[in-house]
Amino acid sequence: MKPAAFDYHRPASAEEAVQMLAEYGDSAKVLAGGQSLVPMLTLRLAAFEHLIDIGRLAPLQGIERRAGGVRIGAMTTQAAIERSTLVADAIPLVARATPFIGHFQIRNRGTIGGSCAHADPAAEYPAVLLALEAEFEVMSATGRRVVQAAEFFAGLWTTVLADDELLTAVNVPVWEGRCGFAIEEFARRHGDFAIAGAAVALQLGDDDRVRRCHVALLGLGMTPERAAEAERALNGIRVDEVDPDEIGRLAMEPLESIPSDVHGSAGYRRQVGASVVAKAWRAAAKEARGE
Amino acid sequence: MTAPDSAAARYTGARVHRVEDARLLTGRGTFVDDIVRSRMAHACFVRSPLASARIVAIDACAALEMPGVQAVFTADDLNSGVHESWYSAMGKHVPDTPRPPLAEGFVRFVGDPVALVIAGDRYVAEDAVDAVEVEYDPLPAVADYATARDAQALVHEGYPANVAGGLGTTLPDALSAIFKDSAHHVSVTVHQQAYAAVPLETRGMVAEWSGDELTVWAATQSPHEVRAFLARLLGLAENRVRVIMRDTGGGFGQKVMPMREEMCIGLAAMKMRSAVKWIEDRRENLMTAGMSRHEHGETHFAFDADGAIRGAYIDHVQDIGAYPTPWPVGTAAAVGMLFPGPYRVPAAAFRTTSVFSNTSGRVAYRGPWQFESLAREVTLDIAARHMHMDPVELRQRNLLRRDELPYANPNGMPYSDVTPVETFEKALQMLDYDAFRREQAVAREQGRYLGVGMCNYIEPTASAMSFYGTEGATIRIEPSGTVNVYVAGGSTGNSLETAAVQLTADALGVNIADVRTIQGDTAVTPFGAGTGGSRSGSMIAGAVEETAAILRERIVAIAAEHLEAAPGDMELADSHARVKGSPTNAVPLTKIAEIAYFMPHKLPAGIPAGLEASARYQARSPVIWANASHVCTCEVDIVTGAVNLLRYIVSEDCGPMINPSVVEGQIAGGVVQGIGGVLFEHLPYDEDGNPLATTFMDYLLPTACDVPTIEYGHVETAAPGPGGFKGVGEGGAIGAPPAVVNAIADALAPLGVEVTRLPLTPAAIRGLIEAAR
Repeated sequence: MKPAAFDYHRPASAEEAVQMLAEYGDSAKVLAGGQSLVPMLTLRLAAFEHLIDIGRLAPLQGIERRAGGVRIGAMTTQAAIERSTLVADAIPLVARATPFIGHFQIRNRGTIGGSCAHADPAAEYPAVLLALEAEFEVMSATGRRVVQAAEFFAGLWTTVLADDELLTAVNVPVWEGRCGFAIEEFARRHGDFAIAGAAVALQLGDDDRVRRCHVALLGLGMTPERAAEAERALNGIRVDEVDPDEIGRLAMEPLESIPSDVHGSAGYRRQVGASVVAKAWRAAAKEARGE
Repeated sequence: MTAPDSAAARYTGARVHRVEDARLLTGRGTFVDDIVRSRMAHACFVRSPLASARIVAIDACAALEMPGVQAVFTADDLNSGVHESWYSAMGKHVPDTPRPPLAEGFVRFVGDPVALVIAGDRYVAEDAVDAVEVEYDPLPAVADYATARDAQALVHEGYPANVAGGLGTTLPDALSAIFKDSAHHVSVTVHQQAYAAVPLETRGMVAEWSGDELTVWAATQSPHEVRAFLARLLGLAENRVRVIMRDTGGGFGQKVMPMREEMCIGLAAMKMRSAVKWIEDRRENLMTAGMSRHEHGETHFAFDADGAIRGAYIDHVQDIGAYPTPWPVGTAAAVGMLFPGPYRVPAAAFRTTSVFSNTSGRVAYRGPWQFESLAREVTLDIAARHMHMDPVELRQRNLLRRDELPYANPNGMPYSDVTPVETFEKALQMLDYDAFRREQAVAREQGRYLGVGMCNYIEPTASAMSFYGTEGATIRIEPSGTVNVYVAGGSTGNSLETAAVQLTADALGVNIADVRTIQGDTAVTPFGAGTGGSRSGSMIAGAVEETAAILRERIVAIAAEHLEAAPGDMELADSHARVKGSPTNAVPLTKIAEIAYFMPHKLPAGIPAGLEASARYQARSPVIWANASHVCTCEVDIVTGAVNLLRYIVSEDCGPMINPSVVEGQIAGGVVQGIGGVLFEHLPYDEDGNPLATTFMDYLLPTACDVPTIEYGHVETAAPGPGGFKGVGEGGAIGAPPAVVNAIADALAPLGVEVTRLPLTPAAIRGLIEAAR
């Protein structure tokens, strides 16, 4: 369990980091908190000639309130997010998702950017950012661009980031009004990748009707996914007329690439998925109604 | 002249803090990977990616050209160096299964060691492993032992139908007649999955050949077994091999004997000019350090109309993988012999069959015969439901009472000095069984599924069988009066140092702070079998007592002469020898030691100079029986299949406790492994023989969050051995699986679910619920 040899680089700035990415192309990999990459290297499931360590770049760290949202630097650790009162107040779904990520030792090193760029379909942050329709700030040696969450995750452990691009921050919209947020997941043990999970962001009108409801699923496909049919069914419905189990069923119905492994078959995950969606809906609805 | 008994036990029975803990908890332990030798080389194995194949060719040229690579060994290089390869624990004459160091001609499981790379560091060694080209001709694999007897393919030529051996008998006619005649005949087949010891520290060894002496640092439960085995393996005189272990991070049976990799390291070290270190990584450990528990059994129980057992039978089949350690056929006999358990079973028989498969080999694991309890206790619960009887009542009706002891069960086990009725009663009281049943009824009305499960078992400890039947101790009271006690050791975290220090302090009447122990170095400690078979407490106590008796006699003689008192009036306490009833009339051990070493002219006639003695204890009975009752409660979420354990109670009788904290630690560790075995741990293979759990992502161990507080109820009945002590190392892992299975089955009984197959993952439980609908 020793990695193959690689050159270790620690650039002094994000600009220098993307210069290196431009130079080394796909023979380089960005090292953030290392909580997924390093085990893959030591198991020799992956090998890169160059590792570019951006973990200590201060400009990529930090949480700040901006108009309409919260900007979180890509190298902000999960532990920092967990401790942030700004996150807890403004984007509580992100705060609530964080304790599900591994264990505190992992969260002390793991970063939000690393988690998103690694794009494990069972990871919490990608699903939550998808639910909240966050924006991903990306830079390369040739410029910057912003990618919408719905576009960012391309496949299993794959994003739309090009080899020479670096994720620098995420912008998470703040939902105002009568809102409720919940994340529910079922894992074999606390801290394991979920067998199935669901994040719900809900906004109610004064008439108790659903104004906005976003449901994101984790662990149930090649990428985190929005439960579009469930969301459509909820749209405009009076909250007390919603059948949570039906929402769970609708959320699972279109899924075609539910994984199957030693922890559970696709069929089992579908059942568990429906139950976590229903559970997350109930919790979010309860909060939105101020109960 | 008779030496006095030691003063009233001061430390034995007390919750003395472990003497190992300061070192271990501050990161100052010395494990095998902490050993660094000059110019030490690092070893890494090339392992088979296929479950069964012929090795066509091995090309190590590219690897040998890599800078830092010192050697690449194959079977042609190493295997011819084997002189003998039998274990002291089993003896020379068992019909052992094959155990070549490196694969010869064929690979027989994924992970089979094919070649050994030696390099300047482990990084280069792993690079070189990737560069060794092995050409395989794939063969059909026997992935599933359950169908292996009907498979076309053979794991080993020479073992028709893939059977390594068996013992016992098909169902005898007399027993069959009892089953037919009885009011109730219950038969089920219970299946257990492969799981493993998974010590925190993986296997490892450093071996250094000086041209004259082989020095080995090992992660082992038995340094003397490692020495004896390697001496025979390499054709060296035993006194030219020294094995040293200080700290070993868990063994649980996996480190009780050296396996193929350790054979390779010993053989390779003889060819190298510097020490060779091999540290197994976690993937190797999960893939190749062996599996246990993979077995099934068809059980039969017959009862009369009142629930009294009339007869029992088990037909047991176990998976032994490709290369088991040790010979698995003999150890499997215990499953059958113990199957009647602590119950009054008038007639019984068993059959056990050991079957090869192209998977990791079966190895010893804490309570290796544990399936007897799982199969029996699960069957009893199913029988109770079948007879509409409470499972407690069924057990109470059949448990052996003390007035029936000694009692020989019909499969040949002569029980004595056990208290199954008492431990069961205590555990039920601790739970408040009736209150739980009421709580369960209320919960069921609310659509919640609570259950209670139980297990009674009886367990052989401190076996006197050959290698295990004696234990030596040397005690050296230094000229300053401090005390060193030398025993073989083999502590893997199981408090052997604390036990030796506690027992010695009491045996000599000295303050515990004055006693230290030296263990694990074959050059200085007496021969001993190490940790295994729940033997260490009893055997170390015997060895310390035999040796201390010699020293007590000398101490008293010197002190009596010094105080001008009669030896018979002396007692030893607080590091002094004193006249009974006259505590000021005393002489400190420091003074006695000074006389013994520096004033030989003052020694009484016939008393030798110095205060050193060695003696060897010989076990007085073939086995010391221990027993326990486990009771646990749980809630099952019928939507996800998740199990939440609510309470876990163990009432055990391990005799008088040397140290209750150590006893409880041993029980807790075993219980957690048993819980893991039911709910989490699994080493599955696909149909081609590929292992599916080779990291901790897929092999799940229970964590602190998954285990409830374990509650203990001690019953202390003396055994016929030193101090009355009984073994307690293995029982937790034996009693837990059936208790947890039965709790889950009890919770799901209203849904019509019967549980006969492990592991009970959430998905598996969900599947059972659906199948019952």
